[in-house]
Parts: sequence; C-alpha cells; structure tokens
Amino acid sequence: MIATLFGHDALGTGAAFALSLLIGFGFGFALEQAGFGSSRRLAGIFYFRDMTVLKVMFTAMVTAMLGLQLALSLGIVTADQIYFLPSVYGAQIVGGLIFGVGFVLSSWCPGTAAVGLASGRVDALIFLGGAAAGSALFNELYGIITPLYTWGDSGIRFAWQALGMSAPVFGLIFSSVAVAAFWGAEWIERKTAGTGSYLGTPFLQAFSAAILAAALAVALLPPAPPAGAAASADAPAETRMLEGIEAGADHIEPEELADRLMAGDPTLILVDIRTPGEFKAFHIRGAVNVAAPDLPAFLEPHKNRGTIVLYSNGMTHPAQVRDALARMGFSNAYLLTDGLQGFLNTVLKPASLRSAPLPETQAAQVNAWRAFFGSDAPAAPPGTVAPADVPPLVETIWLQDHLERADLRIIDLRPQPAYNSGHIPGSVRMDPEHFRGSIGGVSSMLLPADMIARHLGLLGITPQTTVILVPSDKLHDATLAAIALERAGHIRFAILDGGWEQWAAENRPVDTRLPSIEATDYPAASNADRFTVDYRTVLAHSQSRTAILLDVRPTDFFSGAKSDEARPGHIPGAINRPLTLDLSTNHAVVRFKPQAELADAYARLIPSKDSPLVVSCRTGHQASQTYFVLRHLLGYRRIQYYDAGWSEWASRPELPIETGTQ
Amino acid sequence: MSLNPTAQSMGPRPHLNPYLAGVLLGLVLLASFLTLGVGLGASAGIARAAASIQSCFMPQHVADSPYFGAWGQDPLRYYLVFMFAGTLLGGLVSAIASRRIQLQIERGPTASRTRRIALAVTGGVLAGFASRLASGCTSGQGLTGGAMLASGSLLFLAAMFAGGYAVAWFVRRQWL
Repeated sequence: MIATLFGHDALGTGAAFALSLLIGFGFGFALEQAGFGSSRRLAGIFYFRDMTVLKVMFTAMVTAMLGLQLALSLGIVTADQIYFLPSVYGAQIVGGLIFGVGFVLSSWCPGTAAVGLASGRVDALIFLGGAAAGSALFNELYGIITPLYTWGDSGIRFAWQALGMSAPVFGLIFSSVAVAAFWGAEWIERKTAGTGSYLGTPFLQAFSAAILAAALAVALLPPAPPAGAAASADAPAETRMLEGIEAGADHIEPEELADRLMAGDPTLILVDIRTPGEFKAFHIRGAVNVAAPDLPAFLEPHKNRGTIVLYSNGMTHPAQVRDALARMGFSNAYLLTDGLQGFLNTVLKPASLRSAPLPETQAAQVNAWRAFFGSDAPAAPPGTVAPADVPPLVETIWLQDHLERADLRIIDLRPQPAYNSGHIPGSVRMDPEHFRGSIGGVSSMLLPADMIARHLGLLGITPQTTVILVPSDKLHDATLAAIALERAGHIRFAILDGGWEQWAAENRPVDTRLPSIEATDYPAASNADRFTVDYRTVLAHSQSRTAILLDVRPTDFFSGAKSDEARPGHIPGAINRPLTLDLSTNHAVVRFKPQAELADAYARLIPSKDSPLVVSCRTGHQASQTYFVLRHLLGYRRIQYYDAGWSEWASRPELPIETGTQ
Repeated sequence: MSLNPTAQSMGPRPHLNPYLAGVLLGLVLLASFLTLGVGLGASAGIARAAASIQSCFMPQHVADSPYFGAWGQDPLRYYLVFMFAGTLLGGLVSAIASRRIQLQIERGPTASRTRRIALAVTGGVLAGFASRLASGCTSGQGLTGGAMLASGSLLFLAAMFAGGYAVAWFVRRQWL
C-alpha cells in the first residue's frame, strides 16, 4: 500500500519539493508536447477551430480518474492518503466564470503560460505578470471578499454522490461522455477548419474502445471495502457517502457522524469505549458504552452490516480496538477522527467561538448540531470536566464580551506594580514563578499537583472555571501557568491572544480595584500529569533515539558558544528550535505566528503528529511555550516535557553532553 | 510527418497526437496523486511568487495581510512553487527538443500588438484573481478536481467554459 507525502503530513519537506519539481517537469513536458505553448492553439477551442484543449484535458482527466479508482479499488492507496478538493460551490462557480473570461481574453492559463514562457512567448510573460497582480489584488480585497470565498463551502463532495450512483458507474458514464466529445470535437474541426484528422480513423476507434473497456473493467472490480456492498442495500444516502469518501479508510469525520446521528441512521452503531464514569459524565448522544473486551460479542449481530463507529477521548485506543476487530473479520468498524475532543471542537463548539467566522449556512448547521447533541450533555459531576468551550487562544474582543461570565477567571501574569496601576476588570494577579520551586535539590521545578491546586483554590478557581491567562510580552509566562494548570488536572484554560499589550492598545476597559474572590477547595488530581519526564527517561531517549529531543534555548546556548550553567552544550542527539521563532512582534504586541506557518515549520522537524518527542530548555519555562504550541495549537499528541532541563543535565557530570550545531 | 532527418531539422516537429498527450498528462497527474497525495497546480506558484515579490517592497504589509500573511515569511517554501518551476523546466526541455522556441507575441493576422498585450494582461489579472477565489486554475481545479470527480471542481470547469464562450465573440479579432 502506498503512503503518500500528504498522508505523512510531509508536503513541506525537501523530498516533497524535489518530487514536486519532477512532477512539474512531467506536467510541463506533457503540456508542451500537446502544443499548449501556443496561445493561438489554446484559443482555438473558443472559436471551434482547434479542439485540442478539449481532447487533451478530457483524456487526461479520464486517464487519471480511472487510474485513481483502480488504485483505490485494489487497495494500492487508501482514500485518506489523498487530498480531495473540497467543494465551495459559490466561490468555484463565480471563480470559474471570471477565470473563463480571463482565459479567453489572454488565451493563457497559469500552467500553459509557464510552458508558453519557456517557448519564448512574450504574451505568456505578460499574462503571468497580470496573474501575479491579480493574486495580489485578491489578497488586498480578501477582507471584503471572504463571504464569497467561503460561499457554499460544502466540504468534500463528489458528483456521483450527488447523483446517487457509485463512483465507478459515474466514471463509466463520464468516460462515455469523453469518447462522444472526442468524436464531436473531430467532427466540429472538420466542419469549421477542414481538419479533424482523427475522425473515424482506426486510431480513434481503438482509443475510444480502450477507454470504454478500461472504464468498464474498473466498474466491474469489487469495491475496496467488502462491507460497503452489504450496507448499501438499505442504507440512506449518508452511508453511500461513507462508502465512497472513506472507501478503504478507517475513520469517519465528526461532521459526518453528527449528520448521520441526527438523521437517525439505523445502520449506524456508535460505541463509546471509555470507562463507565467518563461515559456517565458526558457522551455523544446515541452512543452505547461497551468495554473493549466485550466488543466482539456485543458487535457480532452488526458484523459487516451497517457502520460501527468507535470513539474515546483521543484516537490511539479506538484505533487499536478497530484493528483488533478488523482482524476478527469486522470490515465495517471505523474510528472517529480526533475522538471526542474532535467532535467537541468541530460539532459542538459554538460558531461564535471558532477561529474563523463561519458562513451562515454552516453556522446554522452548527446550531442545529448543538441543539441536537447539546441537550443530552448533563452537567459534569465533580472530578470529570468537559474540555473548555473556548479555543486555546482567545481574542480580546471575545474576552471583553464575556467579562461578566461567572465561570471565567482571568489571571494577570504581569508584575505586581503593573497590575496595580491597571488591569482587566475582575482579573487576579499571579506570579507565574509561584507555580515553581526547588524540589529535591533541583531548582525551578513545577510544584506538585496538590500545591498548584492550593494556589488555584486561593484564586477562587474550581475545575469548572475557564481560566484566561493574560501575559505581558512574555508569552512563556502564560504557557508556564498553563502547564502548571495541566499538571493539576485543570483542562479549561486559554491564553489571551496578544496579551495585556493588545488589550491596552485597543483601549479596552481597565480597572484598579481588587476583585472579590472567594477561595475554594480545589481538588488536586495527582495523576493528571502524564507529560513530565525526568533525566533518566531523557537519557534513555538520547541513547536509543526513541524520541525527538527538542531543545528550545537560543542557538548560542544550544551549541555551547555561550553558557550560564555547569557545562556548555546540549543533550546528545537533541535538535534546536529557539522558542522565539514561534513568535511575531508588532508594536510591542507579541503573539504566536500564524498556525499554518507554525504547522509548516514543525512538519519539517517532526515526521508526524504521533512522533514521540521531548521539549526542554534551561529550566522548563521556555519549553512550556513550545509544549503549548505543539500540543494545543498544532495537535501533536505525544509530547513530553523535561521540566528540569539543561540546568539539571549540565550539573550531573555522569550525563553525556554534546556541543556545536548539527 | 516526414521521417527524413533533413526535413525535420528545418522546422518545428509536429505536435504529439492530442490523445496520447492527454494520456501522458493523465499519467503525470496520477503519479502526483499516488506519490505526493495531491494533484497538479500552477496558479499557487504564481500567487506565492507575487507574495514574495510584494514582500520585498512592503514586508510588513504582506506579513499583516490575512491571505498572503498566512503563508509565513517564506511563501516560496511550498511544494506547488517547486512544481511551477518544474513546469517551466519541462516545457523548456520539450520546446527545445521539438524546436518550438520562438521569441514572439503570438496574435491573429489582423490583431495589433497593443491589443494583444492589453488583452493578455487583463486576462492575466482576471485569471490570477479568479484562481485565488476558486483555490485553483485549469490544472488545480479543472484537471485535478475533475479527475477526482469533485462536484465543485466539475462546476468550476463548466463555469470556466461558460464564461469563456460568453465573451469569446467580443474578442474574436484577436485571433480570427
């Protein structure tokens, strides 16, 4: 089975760039061979003189379509390894109309103009300049045009789905239309220009027969998931969607699950494999709670009939269970993408809290989901808390709108005098260093969970409180507080995007009064911290290279050129990405760089979101920031935190060190 | 089609049979699906070059803009930029091999240079803008999405030809 670079999240790597160059080479070569280095030839189709564009494009589409369908049917590649283009109907239709006008005026399109330029066509160069300007114009108008850009965003949709047929049957019809179009194009050329040299030739006859035969063969192949056929007999459209889109894939998207549950799809079995306690606290409406060992017996009546969906908080556990079931012959078991967490984020998170504004239709969809699934969510009993209903970074405007929210506690992490001379109304001050102390001779260690819990209680925080952390321009103060909260088992927190500086710059309300706080008894969760590791674990990783060691100190300290500890250098095998690379500063406001940029940068360092890695710095303060970025902004799943850091490592002479940069 | 080497060396070689060229193009697209996991694209390369060029003159403006800004400090570190470079290179090698390189402003017998240049630049601006709006051009949406049978991409293709045929008559003097 093929694992694609997209499937590996590795399109940002040097290997992907080299491969793209090679594929681009083939693309340019094929276009030029077709004669598309000439604008006259491209324009021909619009005047029915030279139909080459139609012949080449239609042939290419049919070839790639049949090849892809064949690869999917034979299991050579699975659907999750391919990036399927989403349908954004409004933007694509309006964009298509404008693009068509641009195409006929210039008689070029981007790919052919590249080939035209290579063939010495000056008009292609002029077109490319215009297209660059048009792209820049789009960027300038982006703010105004966003509603159009997202108009009709419908996710991944296929034409065969819309017509209620299977992909190969539609493919056969599509191929037949192509063959008819080829004959029509030749006929038109003969009438208008006296060419059409392939009309009725043995070549075109053989070619047409070959296409139809190939399409028929692909259509007659059994579909990839053997369960698909069984389920389609009585399943509604939603199931057919699943068969197609997810053919061969082992997961189902939260939106799709939500739609099917709402539609009352009788073929769907949703199984929550968490503990009964967690299930009782909250579960997706319609789910049943079954322990993993009891699953085969419970699911026997549904074996290869309908769709079985497994979920837990994350994805690892359900994936293991799914694989076990698959080995027992269940070919219809799927896992929920990103687990319960993903479902909460994609389906249940209110539209108003999403990082990008949703178009009206989608917002309405979210409201419908919330109305359906929210009603079954009981208030969580003590000890079990649903994740925060806010994103990891909240906007200043959101905070101002929610200052009155009773379950919100704002923690100001700036120095005392700064807090005293003006703070966000209702906020309390906390020195992030109060979460740390000297433990067993090692300084600047995160305090044990019960001590952190005591602090939280004194700040009037309960497990249900959503904590908003407000840093100055030192974002790692907020992330240090965040990791302390996580150690205490507090999962409802967010950082104010842009921190105090952004709030002040926008002249938002400021207060000097002390808030009225009633201390609480915060229950400490001693087992919440599964991420902190000590030097022994790090040493094992360093020796056996079982995890990526990510050192976030400034490069001079990493290399050993500078040192303020017992020994200069770094842990052998560690890689360096200074924490400042994740930040951007604009008029004293420090914030994280755009998520896409961060995702791209880390994708180059870390092969997958499930790669084991350990973040560290000198004392754990700076590393908390990289931990936050990877864990909460980018969704890396297996991050450990070497709290003690270089400060300890350098002072233990028995531990090996390394200097220089890699 | 002459096999006489002397005759061949004089002018450009004939174009490849369009159906075979289409199969070749389709196989390149299929190779892209099966290795990169994504299809072909050209307009993104142009847009990223535009972002990069604009950054040279107004770096802060580009970094702060919501669309280009999201591409980060180095918009050229992206696979489609490399694919575009490859397209130029592949086109060049093919054009050299087929002796089709000729410096010219291609236009119809009665069209003036000015008219052709004005239409090429106007069409370029529209195509550049529209390819960002639709997140793709003839290759990224048309070919790639078409081969995937994606609903929106097939509508894009239909709309593209509708838009093209709707105005073709008005600019026919460019070519006819």
